[in-house]
Amino acid sequence: MPAVTRWLLRAGMAWLLAGLAGGVLVAGQGALDLPPAFGAAGPAVFHFLTVGWLTQLIFGVAHWMFPRASAERPRGREGLVWAALLLLNAGLLLRLGAEPLAALGHASAPALAISGLLQFAAAACFTANTWPRVRGR
Amino acid sequence: MPALAARFIRTALLLLLASFAAGAWALAAKGTAAAMPASLRGAHAELALVGWALQLALGVAYWILPKHAAGPPRGDAAPVAASWLLLNAGIAVAVVGAAAGREPLVAGGRLLELGAVALFALHALPRIKAFGR
Repeated sequence: MPAVTRWLLRAGMAWLLAGLAGGVLVAGQGALDLPPAFGAAGPAVFHFLTVGWLTQLIFGVAHWMFPRASAERPRGREGLVWAALLLLNAGLLLRLGAEPLAALGHASAPALAISGLLQFAAAACFTANTWPRVRGR
Repeated sequence: MPALAARFIRTALLLLLASFAAGAWALAAKGTAAAMPASLRGAHAELALVGWALQLALGVAYWILPKHAAGPPRGDAAPVAASWLLLNAGIAVAVVGAAAGREPLVAGGRLLELGAVALFALHALPRIKAFGR
């Protein structure tokens, strides 16, 4: 298993734990008398699961298992996948801080916009490397 | 990888980009007065969950499930090709319906998606078996 796949799977596992823990805190905000920011974190928590865990898991396994790009570079330009790993996790971490603040009326528009762009850039990097490896025989 | 699996997976990659672009727009709009219409969030979810995740799963399943011992290794490709067509027609209709706030269109799109998955299941069920049988 390539090193970048191992990091994608580890990061995915961390986001899965964070998403499930976040789900407990969002649902229990009232009962546990937590600050209102926890109640506003629902959309962010949902994306920890769908982007942080599911999409990142797919990126990692696809990079590992998909057909070879070429004999010289079997997994293509691996730097693009490292970039996808960094951009995706940076985008999600930024969202973790900014989205609950925005829901509570604090100015966090630039951070949210940057978070979205980082995640889109991650998807673009992954797609650019994976596309040539997906071809029919 | 068979050509039909590549078609599913490449479409999934394109819809991954479309869903993340819509998601980035939604996130950017959250902190501003020019908020993204709530209906476009439905389109974002449709693209991400059905267009990306489900479509990728179907493509990989067609590629990797155990092959048949006799006859065409992956069985008849026609229902799978029809499944790809129905799935993407359904996604297009549901996305347009969600963006326009027209619930009947969303329901129609979901019906096409259901038909696509039923066709795929008919193809895949006989391939869900132990290797070598």
